[in-house]
Amino acid sequence: MLKNNLKVQRAIKDVTQEELANLLGVSRQTINSIEKNRYVPSTVLALKLSEVFGVPVNEIFQLTEEE
Amino acid sequence: MRDSCEAEGRRIRRWIHFQLPHSYKKVGIWSSLLIIALMIAKRFVAEPIWAKPLLSSLLIVAMLMVSLSKEKIEDEWITSLRALSYRWAFVMGVLYALIQPYINYAVDFILGSDQPQVDTGYFPVLVFMLLVQLLCFHQLKRTS
Repeated sequence: MLKNNLKVQRAIKDVTQEELANLLGVSRQTINSIEKNRYVPSTVLALKLSEVFGVPVNEIFQLTEEE
Repeated sequence: MRDSCEAEGRRIRRWIHFQLPHSYKKVGIWSSLLIIALMIAKRFVAEPIWAKPLLSSLLIVAMLMVSLSKEKIEDEWITSLRALSYRWAFVMGVLYALIQPYINYAVDFILGSDQPQVDTGYFPVLVFMLLVQLLCFHQLKRTS
């Protein structure tokens, strides 16, 4: 399973879900679904997130031991 | 041969990604509500013979319009939800079509109908839908 620390990264950058969604050109619900681990984003979106937060993708997304 | 397969794949992808603008969603919803209201209203007046099939067809077109319309922000999450909902609709539609005639038969039988019948009118539509799905899947797999 894939987990993420998007909420933490958002808090560090002090951006709301809505602002992040606008930056990435997706809906707020998409950001919310990713944060709640209900949706695994595409590589493109993951790379865009990494660019926005200025950290490598594997610092935002990590595979848990279940897989 | 390979070129023609790839061209076929591109054509299928173009059709698969076809969507109506977001504004069509409202048109579809209001049309559906109007048609449902007309379907209810026609029960209280002498309806012409063509009214029922015409309204049924228009309702399907209006609902298809809602289904094919883009969301305000059409992103990858929406695309995945759309694909999931179509998959469920497809499977549930097939199950409904397979089970419903037998429920009708059972109800007819219980109510003492003289000639209870199993209506298999859905059969051509189901076979067509399944064939289209299988052919599209096969073609996309070959050309991806």
